[in-house]
Amino acid sequence: MATTVKDVKKAAEALETNKDLTTPAVKPVTLPRDNPVVYPLTLPESEARLRTPAVGQRASRPDGRLHGLGQTKYIDDLTFPHMIHAKILRSEHAHARIISIDTSEAEAMPGVLATLTGREIPVNSFGPTLQDQPVLAAEVVRHRGDGVAAVAAVTEQIAADALEKIKVVYEPLPAVFDPMEALKDEIKVHPPASNIYASKVIKKGDVEKALAQSDHVFHRVFRTQMVEHVPLEPHSSIALWDGNGRVTIYSSLGRITLGREDLSRTLKLPQSKVRLVGTIVGGNFGGKNEITNEPILALLSKKTGRPVKCTFTRGDEFISSTIRHPFIMDYKTGVNKEGKILARKIHLVLDGGAYCSWTGTTIGKGSILAPGPYEIDNLHVEAYAVYTNKTTTGAMRGFGAPQVCFAYESQMDDIATKLGIDPLEIRLRNAFSEGSASPTSQVLQSVAVKESLIQASERFGWEDRPR
Amino acid sequence: MKQRGRGMACMWYPIGFTVMANPSAATVKVNTDGTATLLTGTVETGQGALTVLGQIAAETLGISTDDVHVVSGDTDSTPMDTGAIASRTTYVTGNAIVRAAEAAREILFESAAPLLNVKPDQLEARDKRIQVLGFPSRSISIGEAAQHSESVVGHPAIGSASYNPPTVALDPETGQGKPFNTYVYATQIAEVEVDDETGEVEILRIVAVHDCGTAINPMLVEGQIQGGISMGVGFALQEEILFRDGVQVNPNLTNYILPTSLDMPDIEVELVDNYDPTGPFGAKGAGEPTAVPTAAAIMNAIHDAVGVRITSLPATAEKVMTAIMEQRGAQEQRA
Amino acid sequence: MLVQLKVNGELRSADVPPETTLLKMLREDLGLTGAKLGCDVGDCGTCTVIVDGESVNSCLMLAAKANGHDVTTIEGLATSSELHPLQKSFEELGALQCGFCGPGMLMSAKNLLDKNPEPSVHEIRDALSGNLCRCTGYTKIIEAIQDAGRAMTGAGAAA
Repeated sequence: MATTVKDVKKAAEALETNKDLTTPAVKPVTLPRDNPVVYPLTLPESEARLRTPAVGQRASRPDGRLHGLGQTKYIDDLTFPHMIHAKILRSEHAHARIISIDTSEAEAMPGVLATLTGREIPVNSFGPTLQDQPVLAAEVVRHRGDGVAAVAAVTEQIAADALEKIKVVYEPLPAVFDPMEALKDEIKVHPPASNIYASKVIKKGDVEKALAQSDHVFHRVFRTQMVEHVPLEPHSSIALWDGNGRVTIYSSLGRITLGREDLSRTLKLPQSKVRLVGTIVGGNFGGKNEITNEPILALLSKKTGRPVKCTFTRGDEFISSTIRHPFIMDYKTGVNKEGKILARKIHLVLDGGAYCSWTGTTIGKGSILAPGPYEIDNLHVEAYAVYTNKTTTGAMRGFGAPQVCFAYESQMDDIATKLGIDPLEIRLRNAFSEGSASPTSQVLQSVAVKESLIQASERFGWEDRPR
Repeated sequence: MKQRGRGMACMWYPIGFTVMANPSAATVKVNTDGTATLLTGTVETGQGALTVLGQIAAETLGISTDDVHVVSGDTDSTPMDTGAIASRTTYVTGNAIVRAAEAAREILFESAAPLLNVKPDQLEARDKRIQVLGFPSRSISIGEAAQHSESVVGHPAIGSASYNPPTVALDPETGQGKPFNTYVYATQIAEVEVDDETGEVEILRIVAVHDCGTAINPMLVEGQIQGGISMGVGFALQEEILFRDGVQVNPNLTNYILPTSLDMPDIEVELVDNYDPTGPFGAKGAGEPTAVPTAAAIMNAIHDAVGVRITSLPATAEKVMTAIMEQRGAQEQRA
Repeated sequence: MLVQLKVNGELRSADVPPETTLLKMLREDLGLTGAKLGCDVGDCGTCTVIVDGESVNSCLMLAAKANGHDVTTIEGLATSSELHPLQKSFEELGALQCGFCGPGMLMSAKNLLDKNPEPSVHEIRDALSGNLCRCTGYTKIIEAIQDAGRAMTGAGAAA
């Protein structure tokens, strides 16, 4: 029954004159049962957000309120009409040739709408520096996290069940896991290329001469381990097309400009035909900076004519998404009697995993930062990254800095202990000042190492040693 | 017996990509009521980038944080951005936003100048008004200026710009050059208690003093530091992906140990008072540096407590205990 | 099978396969996407909801088991005119960053404050030990819970 202004006026008059209201003029509205009410809470805005000037304010974040209400929509929270689900089958070997992939049994399962293998991907390679990683492995698998086939089905459960029906025949190949072994190039991960796929040298002065002239030389090897970003939100993407051949991908990617370029390249589509949308990422830390299964979903969506979603399981997160490079760090440092560093010789080996990913950036930054925030005139840094048949190592918060800092700061305390100098004092004697030269001879500005050392020591009460 | 120790670690960390171009673009649109919209191609990944970028736009336009609506994360409608990576967002995207907002502001000044009987370069935007330098009472609201600009002058206040940090390529043989335009610095000091019968390490306290240039939003910088330290604690003592013959042994959260609320110590955060003239309002960045020195500080604290030098991470109880026993053995041999 | 339960004070029902978890039913059948899927095996706590007054990992509970019971999710904390004091404190003190752990964290916090209105820092850390957070280091979350606790007992919120 339509509501007119006359009806509302009649209802209002009835209220005023207390007439019979058993048949109201205005029909009550029923809320749809499926959708929770979204409260447009009109609360006073936080003061810090309303003040000028804006810089320096402890302004609350606009998404903070939505997070607290549970209203923030991450990719996995989105649904589209007729949406189906995809799952990825992962390799059973660390290194193997793929002889055949038979998806026929999976395709025959009720509820399975399509499958996909690497050969169907127009350009089956990607990578921020070297495009050495397949979207879906077609000829060779190089670590157990490599995807070899994908299934799209009406429910996640059916898709997961269908994976078990895909028959892959592998020819196992010898694999190499230890980076020091990999350096020997006896078992190659990407033949005929050498396993050493990235290197860096930084040198200035004459490190051997300065070491020989040092009063003390300290030498130690430090090692770090494989760690994962563990974002609380697993990688998640949804792909859908429109009638004009334009694909939209909703993704937890932290870099949509690069993502669109990658999608355009792998799908052989003009960039204007690709739309990449991010909502808010539930934790990135470097692990969501390159595409994972987006091209797969785009192709499955194209085949089925339905929106396709895929969310990584927590297991996928560990074995398939990127991890931090383990570093093997050989540090040789020469100092004089006062603890002033005269020379530093560093050799780094990075376990570079199965594919390049962000290794180029990691080896570059790691090498530049490796000597530490210290004035050193005689320096030699040599770094190598090697392929191994393990999880792809990529960008993770620090690009090599946490690893080298562990080495150079541990050695600093070793020097301090041996020479009987306080750890704060020895750092102040060596640290950068405004205008100091970096390891690459850059004149540094806006330097604050000593300030941070002194301020931290004061706050901590470093001088008030209880012993 | 429990032994206490303390250790410090300092670090330096660059902002932006190594030498390579990593630009960000931004568009700022001023609405006819003095509020504004910012378009940025970056994606919020939890660090609070959109809030900080909104504050930078607001500051340039002389309005409040709440007046700026930030639109992000859609390749159809937001300009390119190299991404939230390498701690570059505040600095690179921030600088792009300053330039874009200045361009929009310039249009407002051009339109407002004749109304206030001055030239455009005699105006400033502050406290939501366009006012004459030195004579703040001679002003109109930003909304009035935007309305006038759009509907009378016919020039809507929209500005677009991009920014890329200047670098100098590294010599291929010596690595010499200028790989980054700016760096940040920090020191963290940890106090630990080591049980010399089990090798277990408990972190009692961490003091963190970080340089980020101007802190656009100090509350968010603190959050980044506290979060970065938790990753540092995990890196130092707990986290490890274990492999056996190419198979991950612990690809789950039951057996991949990372810090829970019970593993984190009290964290005290301070910021160094610093200003970088090349950054937006003096700001540099904070995302990654926060996770860099923590493990080193903890290892140095363990060394101070029980005299053992851990040379591989993580410093699990077994590893620390083995090192303590080896040291005892060596000491007994010497005795 | 038909599962009927009270969610945030409303009677809700859905027809779900018997192996469906409470988490899946909330997210996919009832449109309540606040509770998150972080690991699906009860390790991360992002799926935490309150069932009959106890905080529970909803990924470990079958929807069938929740039949006839009383469930509170993050969507049930605020009213149309007011935030819950926890939500207010979390917002003001910047306690959440990416927010993914938020709904689970808030439900554990609510469960704690409902039973222990003035918890010590250690008691808070203990109550949150099943909720992983990768962004915040837990520091501001703990401060916000203390702040909310004070507001709820009328002891006055910190500035």
